[in-house]
Amino acid sequence: MSKPIINRRQFIQIIALASTSWPLISQAEKTSHLQTPRKSSDLVYKNLKDPWLSIAEVQEHLFPADDTSPGAKDIYALRFLRNMLDAPDTESEEKEFIIKGVGWLNDLSIKNYKQSFMKLSSKDKESVLRKIETSRAGSRWLNLMMTYLIEALLSDPIYGGNKDQKGWQWLEHIPGFPTPTSEQVYFKLGNQSNDLSQRRSQTLRATS
Amino acid sequence: MSRDYDICVIGSGAGAGPVISELSKQGKSVLVLEKGPWLTEEDFTKDEMACCRRSTYTPKLEDEQHVLEEENNDGSWSSEPTSESGWDFWNGNVVGGSSNFMSGYFYRIKPKDFRLLSEFGPIKGANIVDWPISYDDMEPYFTKAETEIGISGKIVAHKHQEPRSTKDFPYPPTSEHPIVNNIDRACAELNLTSLPTPRAILSTPKEKRNSCEYSGYCGSYGCHSGAKGSARAALLDDAVATGHCEIRPNSKVYKLKSNSKGQVVEALYYDRDNKAQSVTAKIFVVACHAIETSRLLLASDGPKHPDGLGNNYSQLGKNLLFSAGGSGTGEFHYSEMDKLTASAMKTRGPFVNRGLQDWYYFNDKEFGGKTKGGIIDFLLRHPNPISKAMDSKWNDDGNLNWGHNLKRDLKTVFTASQDLRFEVFNDWLPTDNCFVSLDSNIKDKWGSAVAKVRLGYHEHDLKVGEYLSAKAENVLRQMGAKNIRSSVSGSPPANLVAGGCRFGSDIKTSVLDADCKVHDVDNLYVTDGSFMPTGGSVPYTWTIYANAFRVADIIKKRV
Repeated sequence: MSKPIINRRQFIQIIALASTSWPLISQAEKTSHLQTPRKSSDLVYKNLKDPWLSIAEVQEHLFPADDTSPGAKDIYALRFLRNMLDAPDTESEEKEFIIKGVGWLNDLSIKNYKQSFMKLSSKDKESVLRKIETSRAGSRWLNLMMTYLIEALLSDPIYGGNKDQKGWQWLEHIPGFPTPTSEQVYFKLGNQSNDLSQRRSQTLRATS
Repeated sequence: MSRDYDICVIGSGAGAGPVISELSKQGKSVLVLEKGPWLTEEDFTKDEMACCRRSTYTPKLEDEQHVLEEENNDGSWSSEPTSESGWDFWNGNVVGGSSNFMSGYFYRIKPKDFRLLSEFGPIKGANIVDWPISYDDMEPYFTKAETEIGISGKIVAHKHQEPRSTKDFPYPPTSEHPIVNNIDRACAELNLTSLPTPRAILSTPKEKRNSCEYSGYCGSYGCHSGAKGSARAALLDDAVATGHCEIRPNSKVYKLKSNSKGQVVEALYYDRDNKAQSVTAKIFVVACHAIETSRLLLASDGPKHPDGLGNNYSQLGKNLLFSAGGSGTGEFHYSEMDKLTASAMKTRGPFVNRGLQDWYYFNDKEFGGKTKGGIIDFLLRHPNPISKAMDSKWNDDGNLNWGHNLKRDLKTVFTASQDLRFEVFNDWLPTDNCFVSLDSNIKDKWGSAVAKVRLGYHEHDLKVGEYLSAKAENVLRQMGAKNIRSSVSGSPPANLVAGGCRFGSDIKTSVLDADCKVHDVDNLYVTDGSFMPTGGSVPYTWTIYANAFRVADIIKKRV
């Protein structure tokens, strides 16, 4: 069994750091982010607002498309991330931490380059992200982004990433069978939801 | 006094299944209290997120955890709750237990494993003892497990072959990956005996259970076809069908209440709504995972057992065992193969059913002569793609790896080679530094003290592990593997655990008697891996199944 993405004590350390050096997003802003309407699949990257707009840019920088392989947008890495952040087992601290990180990232971009992250050249994006990586909290934020990216690339498409199995195809991965239906995603099974009747209550963003 | 049930079984995995099945087939009323939910074959898919990335079949560590104690360089001990370290010590809390998620490598322990002390002598710092029973006592039950659980394999004569009452396995071996030919060739060249690995996986159908579908995802995954010999698929479904067995999932037993005579009268548990419930029975059987069994008995104080049931001589929780050894890998690069060979090597599905027992016992001056060794098993790298990709997340210099560099690395990891791994299993010697107690601070979500586990190991375990690991590396080298590496450490595998309630003839040095009944409790048995005073150098599941069938026969005679 794998370890959790990040543990509670580390989180407390992060939040403690975040509250001193990371600008907090105002409650109004936060509410509006959480209320971003769910996109149908072909609209995953249309009309995005922050923090999702910046996160999509970060994801594409960390996992860029090239002539022979898919990038973060091709695999719908953003949709995967948003599904997971909405999953019932994801701690609200984790979601808040990811959103706070976007604020800090843009702050640093503006301070160093007078522009938000998404407007930077690829070279400047790289140097901002590497700069972030040198702080403990920043490194953990990027580590989380990478973890969700890799999960988006190679998890079953039912979770919203790995669009059209592009991740599996690129890496010549042969999936097992049977694959999960939308009623068999992990948070509707087992200890995540013990009672069959409870399994119906959560929905994922459309996947095709 | 009337009781609700003849038998109340706590837990439903490999140690519980045989008792549940045998007693309910005999017409006794059996109640099973299982902490986890009841999932069926329909629920098990090949979903890495469910099996391995999230806590789906195990509790969230914030709700239920362990406290693990590890030794510092200066000999002191530090403890850390697993919700902080992230080191998950759960294996599978569902009906059928972790047998649902095993890989199903099945080995019998051998006659000398029952008398390790007499055969190989004492080792300083290790609490080695002989078992109170012999291989001959257990043999019929190893055989019974072959047919009841459904074990596939093929007997090939070799110098350490244990005696058998039947000629061969009831099911032929599962399909084999083409790489076994390379293993066989290399072993023949090295004058070693390459042996087919028995598996608790059906190669042909058995009653309602289908044979293996060869999806290529087995260990860590619940089985969709019913081929894997989990307690659920092999035993519990039939037990329920008798009409005498009731399985109560989502029922967490927190205490066994005993009376002034020292007998257990009631199991106290929380139901799915976290309401406290209780049930009475004539006989209680505990089999809920070695660590949790010790924890439950330690928490079950009573008038005759002030320090926990079966703990009047401070033996409870002591001499916990894991499996010692390690693992290694070698790479076979497709670029160095012709197209046909590369395509064969890429096959996904069939098993690498090969292992070596040449050094189960060996004679080496370095070890002072006659020594207990272990086994080597070969397997392909687990196909789980997310965990495979995660290794590429970091650079050699410890920074995060991203962008085109990451993509190049991933492409190489996934498409350049087939990686053959090996695992070494040798004895985890029982010591005073490996045991279960109750933590005085951390509680589970119901308010009960969690288990604290001290994870000490004996240096001898590493020495034997390294000896075997070097032998396994030789095989990979002979096969022409590249980039061969291995690791042997004292870090315990959380999925291979036994001991804590060792059986023996003396109440002062053991918790259970030879029948696996708690010495001074007339109606309490322990039938999971807890009973083992030493574990043999094999995965424990077959021994657990066999012993539980043996104890089931004993209980059958008295109710």
